[in-house]
Amino acid sequence: MTKKEKELISIPITVNVPYRFAAGKYMTKFLMELKNNGKILAIKCPKCGRVQLPPRVVCAQCHVKNDEWVELSHEGTLVAFTIMYLPLTDPTTGKPHKPPFVYGSVRLDGATSVLDHLVNIEPTMDKVWVGMRCKVVLRPQKDRIGDLSDIRCLEPLPGQKKPRG
Amino acid sequence: MSDRVAIVGIAQSKFSARRPEVNYAEMGYEVIEQVLNNTGLEMQKDIDNSISCSHDIWDGQTISDIGITDVIGGHLRNEEKVAMDGTNMVLYGAIGILSGEFECSLLMAHTKMSQTNRNIVNNDAFDPIYTRILGFDYTSAAALQAKRYMYKYGITQEQCAKVVSKNLANARLNPSAHNMGEYSVGDVLSSPVVASPIHELEIAPDTDGAVAMILASEKKAKEITDNPVWILGFSNCYDAHYLGDRDLADYMSLQKAAQKAYNMAGIKNPRREIDVVELCDAFSYQELLWSEGLGLCGQGEGGRLLDSGATALKGKIPVNPSGGLLSGVPENVAGLNRAAEAYLQVKGEAGEHQVGNVRIAVAQGHSGFCGQHHCVLVLGKE
Ligand SMILES: [Zn+2]
Repeated sequence: MTKKEKELISIPITVNVPYRFAAGKYMTKFLMELKNNGKILAIKCPKCGRVQLPPRVVCAQCHVKNDEWVELSHEGTLVAFTIMYLPLTDPTTGKPHKPPFVYGSVRLDGATSVLDHLVNIEPTMDKVWVGMRCKVVLRPQKDRIGDLSDIRCLEPLPGQKKPRG
Repeated sequence: MSDRVAIVGIAQSKFSARRPEVNYAEMGYEVIEQVLNNTGLEMQKDIDNSISCSHDIWDGQTISDIGITDVIGGHLRNEEKVAMDGTNMVLYGAIGILSGEFECSLLMAHTKMSQTNRNIVNNDAFDPIYTRILGFDYTSAAALQAKRYMYKYGITQEQCAKVVSKNLANARLNPSAHNMGEYSVGDVLSSPVVASPIHELEIAPDTDGAVAMILASEKKAKEITDNPVWILGFSNCYDAHYLGDRDLADYMSLQKAAQKAYNMAGIKNPRREIDVVELCDAFSYQELLWSEGLGLCGQGEGGRLLDSGATALKGKIPVNPSGGLLSGVPENVAGLNRAAEAYLQVKGEAGEHQVGNVRIAVAQGHSGFCGQHHCVLVLGKE
């Protein structure tokens, strides 16, 4: 005979640790420019020249301090995507994203690295593809709050069709 | 294979109660940039191993070294994290070099205590079924240890308070410290009781900051500097997790760690041979208790040792000339800061808090509540 479940004790505890994370010097500038001027700023390595998002203090490859800012286009190319069927939680609201939804990685024109975000598109395989041109959709200026949600989503540029094959 | 390992450079934050303007990578890079500049070493050319020290729950990120791999040189190279007190990263780094695997290792410890709540973070160190549910934290556990220690050996509140007076006065001479001042025993004992017998001023304050250090093999060290500081001995030791499994007035794990480190360094008589000690006074009474564990005096004699003046800045065996943790050093960083301060004393570069000519310095760190795990380092000139 197996043991009855009620004989086993397990204690429910929610590990709830409050944090206040400093954005730091580089991300503060990024978020301020996004909020106040609707600009997407990346950081350029003075040595290898790669243009990175998110902006950060050091180029890991060259181990030199980054100090050159580059404004990126709001348009770019989708380099990877996934259609999600898990209701993943948005940690800033505690509420789940409603599946199915699309996460995409877009290389904005002028950037070496990508911007990952939700893609506002019908979540079916024939509506989204690698190589699709996308644009960034921002919150209206008056509603911006200075975190990454000021970028609401990515959206496909109009007039495109999925290539055959 | 290297026979010996040396410390060839250090850099420390100006510790602060809050650093809201930097994230932890930027805070870490400040000391990394400084230690590389000081030693003239280059990340790609010279550093072949990087070790960080912090704690996931303090950092609020799983495997939190992912937040600092860029700045510590971990990109497409090796980097590992020590999630215990920073003294252990010196031990770990030294072993890597002694093994022959590495020549020159960069160590960096960082923690921003201001970004969360110490009581909640430390509550997560307790067994979820047995003690966590009571709300226990390091301060409440320390209060039990302080009470037990005072009861068993007749240590007085005044003696504990005197540790604070001494260390916060020393801190005035330490440019890295942020908590300092002239406090009488009466001042300390009139600060609010947080968990009897512990008063507010007897608790190391919340602090943000980072410390970096570079370790090198004997061959590499001699290329870098004419007067490296040698790691002559090291050891660490664990004791039981449950508070009820040990007498909190004792310090078996510290005694064992110290004995092994002293043996390795050839120290036979610690009272005579050690010139200065930097230890983790997370709470005032711990300086007295750890002094005993380190063999600076006999069991139960920590209070008398302090009263004799021996541990004062100009005493026979100064303890915490930097001001210790009471002067404001982050958790996790504490032990690397002890080692860095011991290094400065051996070098004769501690500035106004230099204790005189130091041949042998000892650094101690502990992890877990009530000093469950201890690590002891012996540094010296030759
Ligand atoms: Zn680069």
